[in-house]
Amino acid sequence: MEPLKVIVTGPVGAGKSTLIRTLSETDVVDTDAMASEDIGKAMTTVAMDYGTLHLGDQLLYLFGTPGQERFDFMWDVLTEGALGMLMLVRGDRPEDFGPARRMLDYLLSQHPVPHVVGVTRQDRPPVWSPEEVALFLGLPKERVVGLNATDPRSAVQPLIRLLELMLVDGESGR
Amino acid sequence: MSKQEQLQGILKELKQALPELRSIVVASTDGLPIVHDAGDAPRIAAMAATALGLGKRISQTTELGALQETIVRGNDGYFVVYAAGDKGVLAVAAPADANLGLIHLEARGFAARLAQLL
Repeated sequence: MEPLKVIVTGPVGAGKSTLIRTLSETDVVDTDAMASEDIGKAMTTVAMDYGTLHLGDQLLYLFGTPGQERFDFMWDVLTEGALGMLMLVRGDRPEDFGPARRMLDYLLSQHPVPHVVGVTRQDRPPVWSPEEVALFLGLPKERVVGLNATDPRSAVQPLIRLLELMLVDGESGR
Repeated sequence: MSKQEQLQGILKELKQALPELRSIVVASTDGLPIVHDAGDAPRIAAMAATALGLGKRISQTTELGALQETIVRGNDGYFVVYAAGDKGVLAVAAPADANLGLIHLEARGFAARLAQLL
């Protein structure tokens, strides 16, 4: 089976780098720099994260994007050739849902691929459930999955869903 | 003199030392402009931070040692990104006929001075 390239994107602080570090079977290529503005964490991704993961026999290449909008040129660079997209949003930060939706719409307009939204921090209530976020974003329920990006068994769930969707509606995902 | 004024002073000196430079941007390593003379500084600052971050990682992965600079060379010129300590990035754009060796010599010195201030 051919490896599949999956893009992991979403607003700053959603857990993109964390998810790739949690799941990757190979050394993660990361590009952290010290955050000079208050974004609720010390380090931020400036170029990309890269990791690999097997789901059964299927090898996935995980490419994580930076979160800040000023790095939006990297979204296009990294999405080139991707066959699936995982958009992460923090479940305890509803103010990020609108920007995440716009980011998703933009990326899908450029690269119409199968996609799943992952709602992080499910282990830290109070947090929005995936059902609530699906309703908020106007997405079908099956496209929104809850997870905890620090727990391997949980973090893999949205990728399993994405792979299922890629196998079912591989042509456009819309 | 405020830090910003000192940084502006260094920028001015660099322009005098290398008048052929088309633009200079000093940014934080997470891509925010600090001082510059470029029209599109926010975008250049973000790209410079990306180029430096990726350059460092490539240098590390391919065992090249500490990164000296990341160079982008187009038909019409160069875009060179230097680390200014742990927190800063110095990016310069130069025409194709510029003396790259001289640019490195000067820019590395200025990057070290910027590093003291950032």
